[in-house]
Amino acid sequence: MGQQQQVRVSGRALWRVRLLVWGIVGLAPFPAAAQQQLTVAAYPAVDKIVEAAIPAWKKLHPHVAIKVVSRQFADHHTAMTTALSTRFYLPDVMALEVGYVGRFAQGGGLEDLVKPPYNIRSVQAQFVPYALAQATARTGAIVAVPTDIGPGTLLVRTDVLAKAGVSEAELTKSWESYVAAGVKIKQGTGAYLMAHARDMKNILIRTGIQPGEGLYFDKDSKVLVTSPRFVRAFELAREVRRNKLDARVSEWSNEWSEGFKRGTLATQLTGAWLAGHLNNWLAPGTAGKWRALQLPEGAFAAYGGTFLAIPRGAPAANKPLAWEFIKLLTLDRELQLQAFKSQDAFPALLSSYDDPFFEQPIAFLGGQAARVQWREATQRIVAVSVHKQDAFAGEVIDTELDKVLDQGKDIPTALADAARLLAKRANR
Amino acid sequence: MKLPAFLRLSPEITPYVLLSPFAILFFVFGMFPLVFSLYLAFQSWEPTSGLSAMQFVGFDNFVFSLQDEWFWKSLKNTAWLAVASGVPQHLVAIPLAVFIHTSFKRLRNGVVGAYFLPYITSTVAIAIMFSSLFSTDYGVVNTALHALFGGENIDWLGQPENIKPAIAMIVFWRYLGFNVVLYLAALQTIPKDLYEAATMDGAGRLQQFFYITLPSLKPMIYFGVTLSVIGGLQLFEEPFILTGGRGGSDQSGMTTAIYLYRMAFDFNDFGAASAMSWLLFFLVVILTYLTNQAFKPRNAGG
Amino acid sequence: MNSNRLAPWAAYVIVGVGALIMLAPFYFMFVFATQSRTEIFSLPPPMWFGDDFFNNLKILTERIPFWRNLGWSLYVAVANTALTLLFCSMGGYAFGCFDFRYKNALFAFVMATMLLPSFMNMIPTFMIMDALGWIDQPRALYIPGAASAFGIFLMRQFVTTSIPKDLIEAARMDGCSELGIYWRIVLPLLKPALGTLGLITFIASWNNFIGPLIVMRSPENYTLPLALRSLQSPVDTEWGALMTGSAIATIPLVVLFMLSSRQLISGLTAGAVK
Repeated sequence: MGQQQQVRVSGRALWRVRLLVWGIVGLAPFPAAAQQQLTVAAYPAVDKIVEAAIPAWKKLHPHVAIKVVSRQFADHHTAMTTALSTRFYLPDVMALEVGYVGRFAQGGGLEDLVKPPYNIRSVQAQFVPYALAQATARTGAIVAVPTDIGPGTLLVRTDVLAKAGVSEAELTKSWESYVAAGVKIKQGTGAYLMAHARDMKNILIRTGIQPGEGLYFDKDSKVLVTSPRFVRAFELAREVRRNKLDARVSEWSNEWSEGFKRGTLATQLTGAWLAGHLNNWLAPGTAGKWRALQLPEGAFAAYGGTFLAIPRGAPAANKPLAWEFIKLLTLDRELQLQAFKSQDAFPALLSSYDDPFFEQPIAFLGGQAARVQWREATQRIVAVSVHKQDAFAGEVIDTELDKVLDQGKDIPTALADAARLLAKRANR
Repeated sequence: MKLPAFLRLSPEITPYVLLSPFAILFFVFGMFPLVFSLYLAFQSWEPTSGLSAMQFVGFDNFVFSLQDEWFWKSLKNTAWLAVASGVPQHLVAIPLAVFIHTSFKRLRNGVVGAYFLPYITSTVAIAIMFSSLFSTDYGVVNTALHALFGGENIDWLGQPENIKPAIAMIVFWRYLGFNVVLYLAALQTIPKDLYEAATMDGAGRLQQFFYITLPSLKPMIYFGVTLSVIGGLQLFEEPFILTGGRGGSDQSGMTTAIYLYRMAFDFNDFGAASAMSWLLFFLVVILTYLTNQAFKPRNAGG
Repeated sequence: MNSNRLAPWAAYVIVGVGALIMLAPFYFMFVFATQSRTEIFSLPPPMWFGDDFFNNLKILTERIPFWRNLGWSLYVAVANTALTLLFCSMGGYAFGCFDFRYKNALFAFVMATMLLPSFMNMIPTFMIMDALGWIDQPRALYIPGAASAFGIFLMRQFVTTSIPKDLIEAARMDGCSELGIYWRIVLPLLKPALGTLGLITFIASWNNFIGPLIVMRSPENYTLPLALRSLQSPVDTEWGALMTGSAIATIPLVVLFMLSSRQLISGLTAGAVK
């Protein structure tokens, strides 16, 4: 009897204990470190770079998950435009390509990182100067942080040059000598100097930009396309076409990649990252036959580049963490170098520039330690201020160039026509 | 199974009940965008600045559009493409459908299927396929043309004058099968006795085609042509993917729909884009009305 | 007379060659699906199948949740088709067999909305979806599409030509309820039209990428076109994987077409013959 009672009592007691335990567990709030989530919107290959940074983030903030939403390049920017326009469903961190940063900067939809609590000026000096300038709006607000940049370079086929008896110095002394070298290359080997004359025009119009000027418009929205740099660009491009030095192929077309494989394209004006792609899949069979030079006549330009921004309309509670994440991606030397090594994303962080990786020879480029050269180039690139109609202006100039090259249109007339078209829209 | 009396609908309110699901959805999802876009046509708006950045500018967007060289260029391109891709579609689809109808019995589904496949293929695949096929030096199109006619290789995608025919060919390829199916279906409803009577009267096959087949197909031609007119004027996907979203050299492949898209998302001028879309709308309405008039039966009885 | 005897086999040849030309790009899509991107990007392009299919499949499934996206595409397309068939047949029947106020104006209005390019609606649609709380949900993809102007146009065309009014009157006399008439008399007669509209709606829903682009926020919820597009990088696209994904994505449509081709051919008929 006593035993039974004991059992019954402990049975009941056990149940009470169980209830108590479940009650505590069920009703007690979860520990304050609840799962918070940051949404990062990106596009290939930036998404891989972001994902690669997640382990490092987890060490610093184990309770904050990162969700990466990746879309195709144009889709991503369209989706970001849509989100910014309505201020709904903005990501906490937005990746932007350099071509879009200017536009979005003018719009005022991105946080000004100069202001507290971001205070980007305290870390400003750690970045390559032009990159941060590129993300600066006319009001002085800095709206995005560079995570990688694309220093421009001239990739040349050493075997083709050797056969034609052309030296590297001839190619880079001046743009005129570059074209003259192209004539020699054509005569000696039959190879083209470049893929398309417009590639050269694109660099030439960037040279000699005066302070206060953008590429096509100045700060008062006056049209600049009749200025000497455009005339020179068009004249040299026409020279190239007249001498049949360009293959008239567009980038990323089958003919373009075939030109590399077969050695019919002797040089390419491009970003440093192309060397990696050539090696990986575009023309792996040509490894060792290339070298990287600086752009002719001391020109320095950027081809691409990725920035990270915080939209103003993103949830306020997430913004401090978003800023922490951005700082991790852009200021952490190891992560910047890791992105460089795996995705060919040239760092924007100056402190990473002393890493021995830069001095390593690159087999594809015949053992050249080209990264050193590219590193120098980044210091000398100048930021170009952006105007809302730049995309339109680019098209118009390309069209007029085509008319000059294909139909023999007169250069002053072509530029005047372009100016007329642009003037109508300059103030929209 | 009879419903209780209070649930039974009278013939008067039945149409409203039947139409209500459609009407509700349409009102919720269709009206607001329409009104928004009409409202936007009178505003100046750069989207990334947010909704509050809209500024009323009256008819400025419309004036700008009507004076814009590129707008008119795009309209010309659109008209050219609509006609060049639309007319052959129907001119070829009708005889082809007649032929398949009369000459293929067992293989009919297979042949029709082959012609219908392009309609199903996704645009991503088409983009890559056609860039490869229309490649200047090594594309299959140029190889075939060279084998048949000799001459130099045509730079399809680089030269402005070649882009339009290339796009027209792709649109033709894509929708021919769709129209063949439409006409094939219509052909099956023409009574056989009409043909038998005509043969007995001594009419040849060609005469039968022109005097029996074509008139009987008239309603289906109206349906098909209306769709082609509307589709042609709104042509977006095929030129978009072939020119990488930019409209090609000298904008020769830039249809109005592509220009609208670029105005909105590339040049960030939503107000002008909306104004242009309404201008295009009126144009399509007028043309559809004209098509309607052209096909209206002249006398009752069709 | 001579031309009549010559015509037959020449015509067969032309039609046959035409069919081959129609099939060619399709064929290349499957060939490219089995090649690596280096080979795809070379000239001349590969003409026969390669051996990279499984490799491409591996890359494809690693980069995007391919099978899950395929599942979503299927779910959305089926739901969209079902709803569209239901609502448009009801609407088409209403427009076709009844007379009511503003009938013609309303119909013209609905037709008119077919004329505005869909991407202009992106931002207002985004606003509506957010207001409804439907962002990132498949219902945002299959419900709005059910109000298809094309669907109503087609259905009305059919109803006016293949549903005899006396049949309906007779049914009413017999005491059948209005909805009963719709369900038990009209719908069965509309079968061919339903088959046709169903196929076209399914294809359109399957290939639609603008809708998902506006509404979907998580890659796991993407439908196929959007997911496949997200494989495209400005400089680093995995073309082989992309082609493999596109080829696989086309197969359900081909199957569906084969199943419904009989319906389709007789389907579009009645609507058009006055």
